[in-house]
Amino acid sequence: MANAKLWGLKKSPWVFHVAAASCNNCDIEILDVLTPRWDVERFGIVLVGSPRHADALLVTGVLNRKSLPRVLRVYEQTPKPCLVIGVGTCTCDNHMFTPSYNVVGPYDKYIPVDVFIPGCPPKPEAIISGVVKALARL
Amino acid sequence: MKKEYSQAILDEIGAKFPRASVKIHAPRRTYISVPRDDVYEFAKFLFNEKNCRLSIATGIDKRDGIEILYHFSHDPSGTFYNIKTLVPKDDLKIKSLADFLPAANWIEREINELLGVDFTGHPNLVPLLTAETWPADLYPLRRDYADEHKELKIEKTKEDH
Repeated sequence: MANAKLWGLKKSPWVFHVAAASCNNCDIEILDVLTPRWDVERFGIVLVGSPRHADALLVTGVLNRKSLPRVLRVYEQTPKPCLVIGVGTCTCDNHMFTPSYNVVGPYDKYIPVDVFIPGCPPKPEAIISGVVKALARL
Repeated sequence: MKKEYSQAILDEIGAKFPRASVKIHAPRRTYISVPRDDVYEFAKFLFNEKNCRLSIATGIDKRDGIEILYHFSHDPSGTFYNIKTLVPKDDLKIKSLADFLPAANWIEREINELLGVDFTGHPNLVPLLTAETWPADLYPLRRDYADEHKELKIEKTKEDH
């Protein structure tokens, strides 16, 4: 591993959860990932309270006119390099909200997203699998 | 007992508001068409005298006007009284209920920004949901907005019908 920053990121990724106007289902599944049944904290994956402490952003929800500036602000505050993980079908292609006046499109039009996890909501196993794939790419 | 109480309210409505037309939609749901000028007094009557609470208000564009429905719930009997009124497009004004009914405050702001109805006497009629950059005179839930923005419509396939 040539890059020390990447090595540090991969060892124990600290995650900031950006709930950008999601319906809460993906957020509940993300909490399930932290419960004793799946318990990703044993791998050092911890939810943190500030994007300034985070190695990865976990975004949920369909991106709309009101949440876009907030998401961009959070992304700018995150130290680089950082991972961006889109959880839920809404982050991939706007899902059922495509014909809405308020929707501005999938996340990768604005910020680089490393991995999308489809599902409405994705199962905790799928979320863990997606994070593992994102880490394996580094 | 429950049914009697409901009928008692309907009789009182008929006596107090002769311009209101009552339509019993289901055993526990009644639609009451009220002219725009009577809505304020009617809602006050339901809220203050009959202990109904405002569950929610809804608005829909009916082409010739915006129809507003105030859904009042009478919890002791489990019945709903839905005030139905049409606000004509050329004079989109209706008296706000927010001064005696705090539950109406936010939903009136929503109907104002999404459908363009002016609630006169509202204490704080500023946008609630739309983005800061959204133009003030563009109402996204109006039918003419959907007509102008064809890309927002989902094309129906044969399987959908």
